[in-house]
Amino acid sequence: MSERTFPPDPHPLSEIDQVIHTPARLMILAYLYVVESVDYVFLMRLTRLTWGNLSTHLSRLEEAGYIVIKKGYQGKKPHTTVRLSSQGRAAFRKYKQSLQKVFDDLPD
Amino acid sequence: MSEKISLKEAEHKVFSAATQDGLLDVFIGCVALQFAIAPLLSPSLGDFWSSAVFVPFWVLVAGGLWLFRRRVVKPRLGGVRFGAARKARLIRFNVVMLVVNVIAMAIGTWISLNSEVMSGRVTSAFFGLTCLVLFSTAAVFLHYPRLYVYGLLLGLSPLVGEWLFENWGASHHGFPITFGLTAGIMIATGLLVLMRLLRNNPVPGDGPVVGRG
Repeated sequence: MSERTFPPDPHPLSEIDQVIHTPARLMILAYLYVVESVDYVFLMRLTRLTWGNLSTHLSRLEEAGYIVIKKGYQGKKPHTTVRLSSQGRAAFRKYKQSLQKVFDDLPD
Repeated sequence: MSEKISLKEAEHKVFSAATQDGLLDVFIGCVALQFAIAPLLSPSLGDFWSSAVFVPFWVLVAGGLWLFRRRVVKPRLGGVRFGAARKARLIRFNVVMLVVNVIAMAIGTWISLNSEVMSGRVTSAFFGLTCLVLFSTAAVFLHYPRLYVYGLLLGLSPLVGEWLFENWGASHHGFPITFGLTAGIMIATGLLVLMRLLRNNPVPGDGPVVGRG
C-alpha cells in the first residue's frame, strides 16, 4: 500500500499578493481604490513619494495590470492620470481578504 | 508610511486635499461682507439694492477664484475625480442644503411679514441659528471643521451687533463691525491656507515618463 501524501493547504500568507504588499504600492492602491481617477501631481502630493519613486511603483503596478495610466496634455503641458483597473480592484479586495484571514487566525 | 491604512480615512484625506485650498473660505468671507456693507449703503440705495448690488461682486469673485484655482492652484495641487460614494454623498449634501435653505427662507419670510411683532433679537437669533445649522451641516458633509467656526461667528454676529447697538450705540445695529470682523477672519484664514499650500507645493517639473508606450 503506497503512502498517500496530501498537499498541505496553502498558508494564507502565501496567497498575499507581493505586488501590492509594499507600503508605497499599498498606499497608492488604497487611494486609487476610493476615487475614480487622480492625476500624477495629486497622487504625488497625497503619498508624499518623490516623482521618480512614484513613477517606479506606478510602472510596477501597470505591468501587473492593476492600474491604467493615461498620458495626455492639458493645454501645452503633459498631464498623466491614473486609475485602478477592474483587475486591480479585484486584486486589492483579494489582498484585503488574505490579510484578514491571516490576522483572524492569530490568537489574542 | 506609518500612518494607519483605513479606506474611509484615505477617502476623507483625498477629499480634503482636493477641496480645502482656502478659496472657499475667501468666497464665504466675500459673501459675509455683504452683511457688513449693505447696512451702510441702505440709506442711499434702499434695502433691496443695497443687497442686490453685491450679486455682480460675488459673480466676479467666484469667477476670479475659479480662474485662480484652474491656473495657479491646480497645476500645483493636481486634480482628482471622486468615486461613486463621494458623488452620492455630495448629491445628498445638496439635497439637505436645499431643504434647510427652503425651510429657513419660509421661516425668514414669515418673520419679516410679522416684523412689527417680532423684536430685532428674535430676527437676529433666527438668523444666527440658520447660519449655525447650515454651516454645521456643510462641515459634516464636507469634512471641513473650519465651517463650524464660521457658522458660529456668523451666527453670533447679529446678536453681538444688537448688543453693541443697545449698550454702546454702535451704528447700523453694530453689523458693520461684527460682520466685517467675521468676513475679515474668513478671508484672512482662506488666504493663509492658500499661501501655505502654494508655498509648500511648487509647480512640479515634467518629471520622468511614467508607464509604458
